[in-house]
Order: sequence, then C-alpha cells, then structure tokens
Amino acid sequence: MSGLRRIRLPMSADEARTLRAGDVVLVDGEIVISAGLPTHQRLLEAAENGTPPPMQISGGALLHLGSYSQDTGDGGLEVLYMNPTTSTRFNALMPRLIRHYGLTAVGGKGGLDAACVAAMQEVGCVYLSVLGGGAPLHSAAIRAVREVACDDLVAHYRLVRLSVEGLGPVTVGIDAHGDSVFASLHAAANGRLPAILQEMERQRQV
Amino acid sequence: MAITYGAVKDLSAQLYDWSLRKVPDDTKSGLRAALERETQPGAREILKMMLGSAHRAETEERFVCSDAGVPVYNVTIGTAARLDGDIKAAIRDGFDELVARIRPPLLKHVTNPLTNERGYKGKDMPLVTWDVAGGAEWVEILCQPKALGSGRWAALETFSFPTLQQIEEYVMKVVMQAGSQHCPPVIIGIGIGGSFDVAARIASKATMRPVGSTNAEPVLAAMEERLLRAVNATGFGPMGTGGDTTALAVHADYASGHGYTPVAVCFNCWINRRTRARIHNDGTVERFE
Repeated sequence: MSGLRRIRLPMSADEARTLRAGDVVLVDGEIVISAGLPTHQRLLEAAENGTPPPMQISGGALLHLGSYSQDTGDGGLEVLYMNPTTSTRFNALMPRLIRHYGLTAVGGKGGLDAACVAAMQEVGCVYLSVLGGGAPLHSAAIRAVREVACDDLVAHYRLVRLSVEGLGPVTVGIDAHGDSVFASLHAAANGRLPAILQEMERQRQV
Repeated sequence: MAITYGAVKDLSAQLYDWSLRKVPDDTKSGLRAALERETQPGAREILKMMLGSAHRAETEERFVCSDAGVPVYNVTIGTAARLDGDIKAAIRDGFDELVARIRPPLLKHVTNPLTNERGYKGKDMPLVTWDVAGGAEWVEILCQPKALGSGRWAALETFSFPTLQQIEEYVMKVVMQAGSQHCPPVIIGIGIGGSFDVAARIASKATMRPVGSTNAEPVLAAMEERLLRAVNATGFGPMGTGGDTTALAVHADYASGHGYTPVAVCFNCWINRRTRARIHNDGTVERFE
C-alpha cells in the first residue's frame, strides 16, 4: 500500500483533474464530513440566501461519512468512529453544492448520478469511494478534529472538519472528466443482461 | 428454573453488542473464498480491506460499521419452555439498557417515518418477529440489526402463476436497481409465495442461513446457483467499483400459496450482522454465532 499515490486535501481543481476514474489513492489532509440531509440543506440554503454557511467548505472536500463526535471535556473534540453512507440520497442537492462551493472532492459510497457527474466535470471535482463497513480502518486515519458545526443535529448529521493521514485506500469512483465507474459498470451490466438471462435459461433447460 | 425476564433482557442486549463487532465466521469464509476467485486487482484490494476491517473490529472490539442499524430480533419460543416474566418487554428494555451503557455510544438511527426525526426509541421498536418451535425447552433469539445501506434496496412484486424464469428475471431486476449501492458483496434473500407478508418474511429469514450452506430443496438449490452466477456476472463487484464478486450467497425459500405469488428480494451488506443464542429452561445460555 505504500506504493499508492497519495493525495492531499483540500486540493485545487487542477489537481483533481489529474485523477482518473478507477485510480486508487490514499488521502491525507483535511476533509469535512456529514451524513445528514438536513445538513446539506442548510449548506444549500446558505448558498442560495447568500448567508454564511455553518462551516467554511469552499474549495474543499465534503464527504458522505457519518461519525460519532463528542466533547473531550477539556474544550477539545474527538471522533470515536466514522464510516461512509450512501451518497445517492444526496443526488438532488449535490450539483448545486459542488458548483456553489467549488468542491474539488466529494465521496462516500455507491456514487452519484449523471447531474452530479456533470457538475463535477464543470468544477473540477472527484468522487472518492470509501469502504463501507470499514469503521475500524477509517477511524484510525483520524489525526485531529478541527471543527464541528450543526451540533444541534444528531451526531452523524453534524459537519465535522478532520485532519486525516492515510485514509483509504479509496477508489476514484467519478473523475473530473465526466467518467464514472458507477455509470460505466451499470451500462456494462445492462449490456450484458440479455446474455446473462439467456445463460440462465440455458441452465434451466439442462 | 425458568427463562426469566432478566435473562432475556441481558441476552437481547448482549446479542446486539456482539453483532456490531464481529462479522460471522461463515461470512468471513465466504469473503476469503471470494478473494481466491476474484480476478480484478482493485476488487481484490477491497476484499482484503474488508477482511482487515472485520479482523480489527473483532480483535479490538470496535464497531465494523458506524451505522448500527435498528434492532431487529427473531425470537423462537419452544412450546416446552418455561417463561417467567414478560419477555416482550425484556427485549425492549434490553435495547434501552444497551443504548445507555454501550461504548462507544450508538448513533441515533431509530427513525419516525412520518417526520424523519431520529432517536433511540420509537413505535414498535425493536422490530421483533415471533415464532414457535414444537417441543423445545428453550427460547432462541437471533439478532440481525438492519440499516439503510442494504435495507433500502429490498423489493417485492406479486405475480400470478409465475414461471421460474419470471421469478429469476425479477430477482435480476432488483439486483440491477441496487447496482453498486448496497455495500456488495451482498447476501441475497428471496421469498417466493405464501402471501405478501409471508414472502417478505421468508426472504428476510433466508438471509440468516449461513453463507456456503446448500438448500435442501433441489429446485431452489439450482435456482440459487444460477442466480449467484448471474449476479456475479453483472460485474458491480466489491463496493460497486467493479469485480467478479457482487454477491457472496443467494438464499431462496418458498411457501405454498394460491397462485398469486409474491416474490420478495432483500439484501444484507457484506458485514452480514447476525448473532444467535438460546436460553434453556435451566438458565444456561448457548451461543451459536
């Protein structure tokens, strides 16, 4: 794994464009995470009303990761565990968020739809696919909790800014050139489906 | 001796806790077998990470996933079991106690579907299914926490006098809808026949069968084999980023019905949370997984 390419977040749109769908990388630097729909709605409302967002995320990385965060008692913050959530449930909001905040990395698991892919291509943004059920591995990559916002919401909905080192490996599921591993695989599976069904029929006749 | 409220309460809580920190042994074996067969390098790395995550969760007693799901229990009461106390309340109270003491704390996943508000409590929570075992002197509790990641993609359609081809093509339709999103490689449960609720129940129960086991019904054993090959030919792969391993197992079961035939399909993600134990009349607890 030491031979893997490492990316440091937040990155510029130009750096994001150097990544290609299917690349496998390790992540260092700063990410902002949330698994909450209400949180994404607040970010969008701030964008549309021209008010300050609950946390500054412009040009940054916003990943669909849920976490349990709490006060350490001495004024600090800690995240006890984190793991990705299904990104497609944010499909309707992500294109506007990506464009308004100029996000250069988004992520989670399962990918995003074609409208998001278009916004990502326009802005210079990649989607990072993170292992689901990987909480012990991902949590070990956390180096520091920098900031927590929306703490009136349940823990996994909060916006949490983290420093991470060696998060992953993660797969570039969608690149900034309009290529989506998820869309390609779906199209390929759809294309193969008639032959798959035909083969099943042949097996039923044996 | 009898099977007491306290024993059921403690075991319900314990089973939930165990299920969050251990991927079942049969499932880990399934992942290892998949790793041997998998031809795509990226997919092999993801399968290795899955096994690494499972190992680390188990040895360090961590949660495998941050989403602890909602508490789902299947309780089988032996007709010769001697019950002392309200075991329905015991399961509910067991979950409440777990929420209060578990470290690290659970996230709030119990959701009111009318308001989308989330907490630790809610109407009809925990979700419990009751069954009866003739003659047995025990109560068996199976805990299978369920979360959105794979739960979201379950589906059911009702056919009239369907052929095996129609049933299998419907399963493939549901598999295509889920695509990359249910944290594959998954365990697929299929319930055929009975009635609307019975088919769903059968599908859910089918996911509880150990990975690698063979169906005793030859028609279903052949169906499972065909479907497993077909699902893995789609190429979605581990975490849906490509590979030969989209499902670890396909498990099907059926009930007689009328001719209108519901076909239910559901998924468990790769961590396949499941723990099971029995409490006997003499108070002993026998843990199976």
